[in-house]
Amino acid sequence: MRPLKPVLLGVVSFAVILFSWEAAVRLGWLNPFFTSQPTAIAAALAREAGSGELARSAAVSLREFIAGFGAAIIVGLTLGVLAGWYRSVEYALDPFIWFVYSAPLIAFYPLFVLWLGLGTHTVIAISFLLSVTPITVNTATGIRTLSPTLLLAARSFGARPRDVLWKVALPASVPMVVAGLRLGVGRALTGVVVAELFVPSGGLGSSIAYNGGLLRTTDMLASLMVIVVLGVVCTQGLSAIESRFDSWRTGPGL
Amino acid sequence: MISTVAVALFLASWEIAPRLRLVDPFFTSRPSQVLSAGVDIVRGGTLWHDAAVSLSEFAAGFALALAAGVPIGLMLGTFPTLRYLVDPPLMALYATPQLALLPIIVLWLGIGMGSKIAVVFIGSVIPIVVNSMAGVRQVERPLVLAARSFCATRRDVFIKVILPASLPAVMIGVRLGLSRAVLGVVVAEMYVSQEGVGNQIMRLGSAFRVDHLLVYVLLVSAFGLGLTTAARKLEERVAR
Repeated sequence: MRPLKPVLLGVVSFAVILFSWEAAVRLGWLNPFFTSQPTAIAAALAREAGSGELARSAAVSLREFIAGFGAAIIVGLTLGVLAGWYRSVEYALDPFIWFVYSAPLIAFYPLFVLWLGLGTHTVIAISFLLSVTPITVNTATGIRTLSPTLLLAARSFGARPRDVLWKVALPASVPMVVAGLRLGVGRALTGVVVAELFVPSGGLGSSIAYNGGLLRTTDMLASLMVIVVLGVVCTQGLSAIESRFDSWRTGPGL
Repeated sequence: MISTVAVALFLASWEIAPRLRLVDPFFTSRPSQVLSAGVDIVRGGTLWHDAAVSLSEFAAGFALALAAGVPIGLMLGTFPTLRYLVDPPLMALYATPQLALLPIIVLWLGIGMGSKIAVVFIGSVIPIVVNSMAGVRQVERPLVLAARSFCATRRDVFIKVILPASLPAVMIGVRLGLSRAVLGVVVAEMYVSQEGVGNQIMRLGSAFRVDHLLVYVLLVSAFGLGLTTAARKLEERVAR
């Protein structure tokens, strides 16, 4: 694929969107009360960056995201390895995982507020619960679907079960684990933002909800832009890690 | 077998711990209370009205997402120039939690059903577009070339080769979209609404009526789980 054309057209596309948005407002086709306009949003971002408000709320959200997602990685990998290795653990965990996976967890936020207080801890808990399930499920699947040839080869060279787990099963399941992390990143970020809409924590989502309540469209969209950037950075960062971890693999994975 | 035992153990300890005052029943409720709350709610009558409201919002938003998402995705997959233009903003939206748009959608469409339908639509249309687009791009070139060398027109190729070959990917998008749509309805109704299941959840949650709250949450979970399971079955059938 030629690399230049897509990049160029992508830049053009953003430029056209921003330009026509601004123009439509200036020509009076759109009411800036509802849509704001790019220049006003840029000015708001600059003002918030200058006063330190932007850095503060971004830092709060980022900390919650890292805490929730980090805990989800640790717990998800542990549970996933256990469930992938021992059938009985998998059967015992299964119903709970499916419930947590399909329940609208945000509905529990009043309970979390009771248990953990109004603020960051509740946000972290919701973000954790949303992102832990795909990591657990994918890790377990990765270990469970270990190719029998690999297993037999390791066994016939006298590998003990522990060796098989650490030296064969875990490395072989890296692609599945990374796929789980990728799903988890999105859900962790959703968890942070949605929980912040309901629970004031000083983060970006709370800022959207607060400004939304005051009908301050420009400030609302400014925070939204920061969330978009955060989302893109997280997803791209994970793709970079993924291609690095997978570079030793010569054939198609799995 | 082990699953049943695990669930039974969990329910038993959940029932017994509050009775022994190991945990405060106000925080956790008890399975028996949840059961009687369920009976209450089913007899009460507002459940059917709320469920009907939420279901119609869900159905309208998801139907719109299907009707718009599949053709747009297929088109983006077919025409590279169009894809290069739309891909960057689309990927930015894909990486963003779309529920962050909730407050601005409420500002535009108000607190009624319109804003919920829009939230469901946006949440589910994006995975459908992205996966349909990927599906078309995954169609193997030899298939297309073979069809072309047998004098198939572009339209024939699209209808007889590209469409069937990308159907499994489209189905994955539909399944992802379904679970997002369910979450979207509930969160949007919780954020601001006057009726619907999410509105009930919000009211019960603020009043800390844990037993009634759990009944609604379990209903939504069962609904979401049922839909995704059905979609998975359909996916397996399509893939064959």
